[in-house]
Amino acid sequence: MSTTVTIEGPDGRPLDHRGSRRLSTAEQWTWTLLAAVTYTVLSIWHKWLLNWIVGPVWLVGWVVIGPFVADQIVRRFRR
Amino acid sequence: MSWAAHQFEIYAVQAHLPKKMRGRVSFFGIFFGDFTPDFLAKFWVYGITINGTHYGASVPHKWHRGFPGMGFTHTLFFGFVCAALIWLWKRNRAFTVGYLLGFAAHALTDVNDSVGTMLLFPVTWLSWSVETWAYAATIDGGKYLDAASYYSSLGLVMDLFWLVVVLCSWRVLTREYWRTNVVPADARAWAWLGRWIPERGLVALYQATFFYGVCRLVSWTTWAHVVAEPMIDGVKRRGYPFDLSWTGPWWLEARTLPHVNPWIVLPVTLVLLAFVYWLAIRWWERMGAIEESTRVRRRSRTGTD
Repeated sequence: MSTTVTIEGPDGRPLDHRGSRRLSTAEQWTWTLLAAVTYTVLSIWHKWLLNWIVGPVWLVGWVVIGPFVADQIVRRFRR
Repeated sequence: MSWAAHQFEIYAVQAHLPKKMRGRVSFFGIFFGDFTPDFLAKFWVYGITINGTHYGASVPHKWHRGFPGMGFTHTLFFGFVCAALIWLWKRNRAFTVGYLLGFAAHALTDVNDSVGTMLLFPVTWLSWSVETWAYAATIDGGKYLDAASYYSSLGLVMDLFWLVVVLCSWRVLTREYWRTNVVPADARAWAWLGRWIPERGLVALYQATFFYGVCRLVSWTTWAHVVAEPMIDGVKRRGYPFDLSWTGPWWLEARTLPHVNPWIVLPVTLVLLAFVYWLAIRWWERMGAIEESTRVRRRSRTGTD
């Protein structure tokens, strides 16, 4: 894995070692905040969500899948 | 017991490593070291109920922190034994030292509740406790009463304290820090994870324990003070009452074990913490030399460069 090499995608945005888009700081914050709000609100009433497995998976899921889905939607609208 | 404090202290340890260890101590080591005591002891504290039958410890606080019981898992002695076994098995300085520091952070933080930990086990089985807040894990109350008690007492302040410590070193949570300080110390593990997870996911995975700690703190505190409707002294209330007095909250009987004088606990804890860091610093170079010679020997045996 090379984390220091910056590769650019066809749209000029930076890609990581797997060819996935790198997030800007603002984007990273946004997705993390969304994950935190949804997780916290849901877990107030569903305490089984509060554990070492669901918590990390929740955050990683939002940060990995969220931007991917958002990119797909934006691309579809642009067409 | 401490709740989100254990999640935050991992980043506090990571952010405040001795100068020569920066970027060279395994974050996974710190994580697993901090995780080990409760991973081994806590499940049975709350137990599980199947078809109306409760399976778990008959005296939860004794099981968790006492001896006989699993209290030895919260002792520095056990931390040293685990770290020594890891070292003998892997000869990995970064992970071993990280593990020891993480383990020490957990065992020493837990002296704050009314049960405390057996700091000088096996020399003495007496508990060392500052009695800052009440230990509240019981068979009837389970996790809910325990959380309500903790987040109504100085336990909440403890969590917030560790949160502030981490936020004061906020750079430890950034992608740049992860790339320059965390990945080099655990290059193989992150490379392996990187085969399946994109970089943004790896950074999130690194930040996940902090994320879990913050969400846990907010969620349990909100539940305890807004959602829950407890019956206290025969009166139904909306939310558990706050009590930030020593060994609070007042509405619950604090569990204890035979212990030493609380006044000597904090100084001894700080001395032990300094001792663990002193040992880690003192052994650092020597462990590095042994790790290197082991690597050379293995390479020559397998014929690889």
